[in-house]
Amino acid sequence: MSAYLPKPGAPLDHFVSDTPFDPDATENNAEQRAVAAQASQLKLMWWHFRRHKMALWSGIFLIVIYFTILISEFLAPYDLHSRNTDFLYAPPQAVHIFRDGQLVRPYTYGRDVTLDMVTLKWNYADDPTDIQPLRFFCHGDRYEFWGLFKADLHLVCPAEGGQLFLLGTDRLGRDVLSRTIYGARISLTIGILGVMMSFVLGIIIGGLAGYHGGVFDLIVQRVIEVLQSIPSIPMWMALAAIIPVTWSPILVYIGITIVLGMLDWTGLARAVRSKLLALREEDYVLAAQLMGAKSSRIIGRHLIPGFMSHLIASATLTIPGMILGETALSFLGIGLRAPITSWGILLTEARSVNIIALYPWLLFPVVPVILVILAFNFLGDGLRDAADPYK
Amino acid sequence: MITRRRTLALLASAALPGKSLAKAADSPFLKDQLAAGTMPDLAQRLPRSPRVIDLGAMGRTPGRQGGTLRMLIGGQRDVRYIPIHSYARLVGYDQDLNLGPDILDSYTVDEGRIFTFHLRDGHKWSDGSDFTSDDFAYYWNDVVMNTSLRRGGPPMDLKVNGVVAKFEVLDRLTVRYSWDVPAPHFLPRLADPIPQPLMLPAAYMRQFHANHQKPDILAELCERHRVTTWARLHKKMSRQNRPENPDLPTLGPWLPKTAPPAEQFVFERNPFYHRVDENGTQLPYVDRVVLNVSSTEIITAKTATGESDLQATGIGFPDYTLLKEAESRYPMKVSLWRRTQGSSVTLLPNLNYKDDVWRGLFQDVRVRRALSLAINRTEINKVIYYGLGRESADTVLPESPLFKPEYAAAWASHDPDQANALLDAAGLQNRDIYGRRLLPDGRPAHITIESSGESTLETDVLELITDHYRAVGLSLFTRVSQRDIFRSRATGGEVMMSVWQGLDNGVPTADMPPTQLAPSSDDQLQWPVWGMYYMSAKTSGKAPDHSKVLELVSLLGDWKQTKTAEERARIWDDMLAIRADQVFSIGTVNGALQPIVRSSRLRNVPDEALYGFKPTSYLGVYLPDTFWYEEEP
Repeated sequence: MSAYLPKPGAPLDHFVSDTPFDPDATENNAEQRAVAAQASQLKLMWWHFRRHKMALWSGIFLIVIYFTILISEFLAPYDLHSRNTDFLYAPPQAVHIFRDGQLVRPYTYGRDVTLDMVTLKWNYADDPTDIQPLRFFCHGDRYEFWGLFKADLHLVCPAEGGQLFLLGTDRLGRDVLSRTIYGARISLTIGILGVMMSFVLGIIIGGLAGYHGGVFDLIVQRVIEVLQSIPSIPMWMALAAIIPVTWSPILVYIGITIVLGMLDWTGLARAVRSKLLALREEDYVLAAQLMGAKSSRIIGRHLIPGFMSHLIASATLTIPGMILGETALSFLGIGLRAPITSWGILLTEARSVNIIALYPWLLFPVVPVILVILAFNFLGDGLRDAADPYK
Repeated sequence: MITRRRTLALLASAALPGKSLAKAADSPFLKDQLAAGTMPDLAQRLPRSPRVIDLGAMGRTPGRQGGTLRMLIGGQRDVRYIPIHSYARLVGYDQDLNLGPDILDSYTVDEGRIFTFHLRDGHKWSDGSDFTSDDFAYYWNDVVMNTSLRRGGPPMDLKVNGVVAKFEVLDRLTVRYSWDVPAPHFLPRLADPIPQPLMLPAAYMRQFHANHQKPDILAELCERHRVTTWARLHKKMSRQNRPENPDLPTLGPWLPKTAPPAEQFVFERNPFYHRVDENGTQLPYVDRVVLNVSSTEIITAKTATGESDLQATGIGFPDYTLLKEAESRYPMKVSLWRRTQGSSVTLLPNLNYKDDVWRGLFQDVRVRRALSLAINRTEINKVIYYGLGRESADTVLPESPLFKPEYAAAWASHDPDQANALLDAAGLQNRDIYGRRLLPDGRPAHITIESSGESTLETDVLELITDHYRAVGLSLFTRVSQRDIFRSRATGGEVMMSVWQGLDNGVPTADMPPTQLAPSSDDQLQWPVWGMYYMSAKTSGKAPDHSKVLELVSLLGDWKQTKTAEERARIWDDMLAIRADQVFSIGTVNGALQPIVRSSRLRNVPDEALYGFKPTSYLGVYLPDTFWYEEEP
């Protein structure tokens, strides 16, 4: 052991700086302090936030995903409802980029379909002689972009007369990838809209209750307690059952959003209330009151910003709950209904034991659900850490 | 096995020529009881003239006794499948749907109105007590005619034109039911999957009857069985449709040994069962039937892992591929039988819907024809049934002697142009900017179709039909509600259109009553209120005001007066022709297939057959008591 240590008095065999060590160097660095002092709160949060790599990447992932829902029609190779009855239960198709050792334009093989009359299963075999090069920025199924104007441009289409089922097809021959892309539009926005709604309700009701207290607070608290004690699934079912069947899919969608938002605001309202109870005793509130500010101004201008960051973080963590809520409702058959398509709807169609055993690709919509939920959780985590940069 | 079979065969060949069929070896299952002397010999247990099932003549092989048959059920109430499957009836259908005596030794019908039943001498209930005309008399005098047990009076099926039958006991083994007018529905009703009962084990049931039991003992029994009145006690203890009382003697092949609540229901062979095979071996071959309760969703999964030896309920055509693939992994075999419904998915526009405009439209034959013509049945058949079904209107199947190709083809082609023309003519010519039709009063023509949501098949067919209807400017919305709620709303006229199965019995013979073709029950979702009217003997519901429906009602009335098979066949023809022309129910595809899973060791299960509730009583007419196990290799 002692062989590793130099003899007493002998020089160390590695370099040792003899500059005096100042443990408070960073804190005392006037330049940096000046930057930190001048930086806005947002900027500080951003500095803090980007150190959380997981949260950063999750955020980027979510931005990308949310961007795709703006152009679902363009990204999906097929229309949401187009059925290809010659290709039922087709498994995912591989895309090749090499042919004879050469890098070529991506292509797929054509497929021969046979029905096994013994097991009644569709068998698909690649036909290596039938090369179907993919087309990009091409004209395919017609759609109405955002229901506004007709178009038929797609990012990628199969060759003329060919097929492109990257994630296979379901029992009616519909492309699973296209449906998943369209499903994202519903599943992702329902979370955001639901949270917005519960946000507005939570801040207004919780804010008033916390700031004014008294009878109003008492009533709100009891209402919240009652709402929270109702089991959520039956409550959802009851509310979802109220929505008439003849409503157009868009109205049903808004209805479900309202249902989810209506049930979710209670937790947020409580958080806001308790924060306000503490903050309203602060001197600056008193100062504002003495200067004659109205309560709406005091709440909105002075109190809410004090814990806005916290609210944003908690909202981010609520969105996954909303998405799961929608998925669960649709899965139980009481949420959205076909022809509207969400990830929950897609999973409902894939819940039989047959699917799991024979056609597992129909379970693919689970993947985006998991990824998005995880991303939101990481993002929320990062935001919460970054929320209070002065800590 | 060979040796045992050979032994049996030798025994049988020795026994067959004479009348002493009962010389065949007795069941090893009863060995202990026989040795202890608590069980009489086979000869004493069998009726003097048992019903001999000639398996050789049926193209099957006589087998050996023994083994346990495992089946899966979706809930405790599903023990009711046992009496349906085992199909021991006073009279019953055979495989070719000919009516013949089963529990009865013989019967005679005079003038179509006098029914004389001869019982088998020495026939015994499963507890060993004699089965005689006394049991019929008990049921008639103490149940049918008892106002506490039957508040509504004698059941409809024992009445003709509101007049109840005359019941006579001629001797210990002969009873007679007679009316003043013909009663052609009487025998088929006894052969139904859930028959009209005519007898109860009197010796056992008297203890629960106020006329035969002291009130204090009865009160004590009521308390013990947790019921409030003796009538309920009697009803509970005598329930034959759902064998929940292990003490109730039966005439079926298997006796219940388990009282609910339970997770597993065990049925054991009835030592006094009245059927034997041609070798004199007493049926059933299988000693025990074990029903395991599981949830409906996982019956398929469990069946596909070999946990059922005979499964028909709880599995469906979409499960076939999974089951067939499991064949290679487990000792099981899957066959496909044809379902007997007139159409496997049927749209039923409600002619009694509460909305005046829609009711008017649905009562207009042009609308119903257009709704039928708009459907592309070829696509449905291809996508859902792999092209194995038959595109057809909701009518009888080719297997029925009453079938005519024009019934199946009536308004069943895919002709959107004609459908559009018919709808235009019916007052739906106005459209909104999206091309959707508007009702005469300006509302959009949205059809809400209700489904019990129990099968994905239904949902898929509806999805296809939604597109077909969109092409003729009608929008279809599906609403899923739970079965019972759905039915009660339908009875209230609140359901606009429903999706259900077609005719219950798609393979009728002229001798089966055409009840299903005319309003007769509130579960006929195309006219629940009219059906209620006739079901309740005109006390509730409303009388139909549609000329063609009234015609059906009067034809059904005529059928009930018929004496000859020709008259019956003619009435069936007339009714089917009206149904085909009027499209009261909109069929899609019939002859759909039903997977039947059996253990690969189980013999005598037909590979191809008809499957349905009526008239085959699920597996009933194929005699599950003749299914037997090969020895394990």
